[in-house]
Amino acid sequence: MSIVENAEQFKQSFREEAREILVDLEAALLELNENRADPELVGRIFRGLHTIKGSGAMFGFDRLAAFTHQLETAFDEVRNGRLAVGAELIDLTLSALDQIRVLVEEDAGGAPADPEACAKILARVQQLAGILTPGPAPEKALSTPPAACAEPTREWHIRFAPGPDMMRNGANPFLLLRELRQLGGLSVRASMAAVPPLAELDPERCYVTWDMVLVTATGADAIRDVFIFVEDGCDLTIAAASAADSTAQALDEQRAQPVGRRSYDKPDNVSSLRVPAAKLDQFVDLVGELVTVQARLSELASQRDDAEIAAVSEEIERLTSALRENSMNIRMLPIRATFEKFRRLVHDLARDLGKDIELTMEGADTELDKTVIDQLGDPLMHLIRNSIDHGISAPAVRASYGKRPTASIHLSARHSGASVLISVSDDGNGIDAEAVRSSAIEKGLVAADAQLTEAETFALIFQPGFSTAKTVTDVSGRGVGMDVVRQRVDSLRGTIEVVSKPGVGTTVTLRLPLTLAIIDGLLVGVGSACFVLPLANTLECIELTRADIERANGKHLANVREELVPYIRLREHFNIRTEPPAIEQIMIVETEEGRFGFVVDQVLGNCQTVIKNLGRFYRHVQVVSGATILGNGTVALILDPERLAKEAMRSAIHGPRGRPPRAGDRPAI
Amino acid sequence: MGASPAFAPQRMEFDVPVAFEREEELSWIRLEGEVGIGSAAELKDFLIQALASGKKVRVSLQSATELDVTAVELLWAALREAKASGVAFVIEAPVPPIITSALLQAGFDEFAKDMDAGQAGGENPCQ
Repeated sequence: MSIVENAEQFKQSFREEAREILVDLEAALLELNENRADPELVGRIFRGLHTIKGSGAMFGFDRLAAFTHQLETAFDEVRNGRLAVGAELIDLTLSALDQIRVLVEEDAGGAPADPEACAKILARVQQLAGILTPGPAPEKALSTPPAACAEPTREWHIRFAPGPDMMRNGANPFLLLRELRQLGGLSVRASMAAVPPLAELDPERCYVTWDMVLVTATGADAIRDVFIFVEDGCDLTIAAASAADSTAQALDEQRAQPVGRRSYDKPDNVSSLRVPAAKLDQFVDLVGELVTVQARLSELASQRDDAEIAAVSEEIERLTSALRENSMNIRMLPIRATFEKFRRLVHDLARDLGKDIELTMEGADTELDKTVIDQLGDPLMHLIRNSIDHGISAPAVRASYGKRPTASIHLSARHSGASVLISVSDDGNGIDAEAVRSSAIEKGLVAADAQLTEAETFALIFQPGFSTAKTVTDVSGRGVGMDVVRQRVDSLRGTIEVVSKPGVGTTVTLRLPLTLAIIDGLLVGVGSACFVLPLANTLECIELTRADIERANGKHLANVREELVPYIRLREHFNIRTEPPAIEQIMIVETEEGRFGFVVDQVLGNCQTVIKNLGRFYRHVQVVSGATILGNGTVALILDPERLAKEAMRSAIHGPRGRPPRAGDRPAI
Repeated sequence: MGASPAFAPQRMEFDVPVAFEREEELSWIRLEGEVGIGSAAELKDFLIQALASGKKVRVSLQSATELDVTAVELLWAALREAKASGVAFVIEAPVPPIITSALLQAGFDEFAKDMDAGQAGGENPCQ
């Protein structure tokens, strides 16, 4: 790898690190807004800014380093109690974080940073912090001496042994020493004791250790902050000297210490790894292939009367199942990060629209597949924007309705079977069903005499181009956002449910599958075709005899313990022209429409199913959510019971050609 | 370094700031510009080759503007080995002041002084 590639790689890992820190900084700032005297939060923000500054300077992001340095200085003032946290400082810092984000990404093809905006933010921050001599150039900014403070000068003994990968990670110990020197008078002594013979020497590792004496008015935290981005894996001790004359003694003592195990030699040092998502996807793909091959092996083993092969096959089945569970778990991420990033959105929109809104969260630790999480950001953003713009009124208006002036938006996530339910609730005005209906009629989305249930009415808001807003604001009103929500949720094979009460509020719930890669399914056969029904929704299996069919007088209703359950015959639905067996099976499945049956010839058994996409050609076939390859090499379609049931209900109500419903229409299945 | 030994030129130059040159009585290692981790592997190879040849080794830092800690360690380890095996190892004087001052700042006082005097290779310079 060339040096240029190496440098780019370091920059890329800096960008990744910076993105994470920025998310954390934003969350910390918004928390600080709620709790302005919390020193922990101030410290967290200071350290985050410091890390971005330090790493940025190290990887050549000079403008970023200079800009961040000024912010860091302001937060140092906060940390030292010389500057109080106010709404303006928080807003300014939030805007500054936006600029930092641009500065981080501009090298990687992002939009260029706006120097004027940066300068404006800095000027105001400096004004607030009472910093009179700003240093715009990076060298100047970085060499600005720490603000004078009342703390007495102390002597610190520092011993620093870099970790084995510090150099490879792009850090440079000489720069750290330079930074320490900015804190005060520094005397340094390097030790070569650990440098191995030339032949055994890893040329990219730093074996040198440093003993230093620093005389400064800053505290141990500020010294530790210098090492903040190399601290992992390194050995660092910072101790205050009791008296000046003990310096030499302490240095000698430190030098006399045997070169023992360093912290990075400890086995428990690395608790997590950063792995590119693409590698993980590849891994899951491979596990998927393995699941398919294992199914084939099981099938072959079952055809042979060989106990040994059967035993191996079973063992492989067990291992594959464990591997599948594990690989799925690796991809599972808590939804917290996605939720947290909306704090900023709510804060900014509330400020811009003059509303007072509190964002609460529940179940942020609920885990779901990374692919699902990646796709959730946009729909949630549109739902929240919609709530804030349309649902929630200004504090005075709310007060006039007798409501609490501070509105609330609640994000929640919870598991429900193989699905996860994600809700956005607000305590706003609720959806005016009549306005939705008249707007839909006006736009020609429904017939003027259409009779719609409440759920059907609310579903209209997700139609493209639908909006009840009289004016288009830059927040919402163009009728695009909700359409995006629907499309994205559809592509995730999810469903949307809206519950709204006028004057009380609205809750939009997205039901999404936990994972998009592999499901547990039940393999069923109709004629020579095989289908997979997701196991999570399947409740039970009952027999359907010819006599049962005759007793129902042509209606597709089964009597399940004195309860009538509608069913559809997959043979008819998919036009399979073979004779049914004398006794068929009804798979009873739980759907949003209630319990629903699917009639099949026989149930073939459980299967772990790798979902294969059917491709663009079949994307309009909604009742099938994918396909899978069976052990014998044939393809089985994975059915979507929700959509099958919905389609069956709809064709029963509207008729097969989608005639508009009439009053008194009832399901005739 | 893909060339096979049969075609290896006497003087090898790379896109890294380290060059190695063999003369009849002498091996030259020249460090130029910023010498850092990117050229550490080459520097190590050259030092090993130079020491293995048994000839006098001369290291030139005259065109170097910066040495990072990996280069310092390598030079120091080579020096220690040269001394042990009786090979003459000389860092050419004068060493650019920018290098000397950076070494002093990083606590390599003895090493820097020895280098500056062109006498590196004397007593253990750093302990």
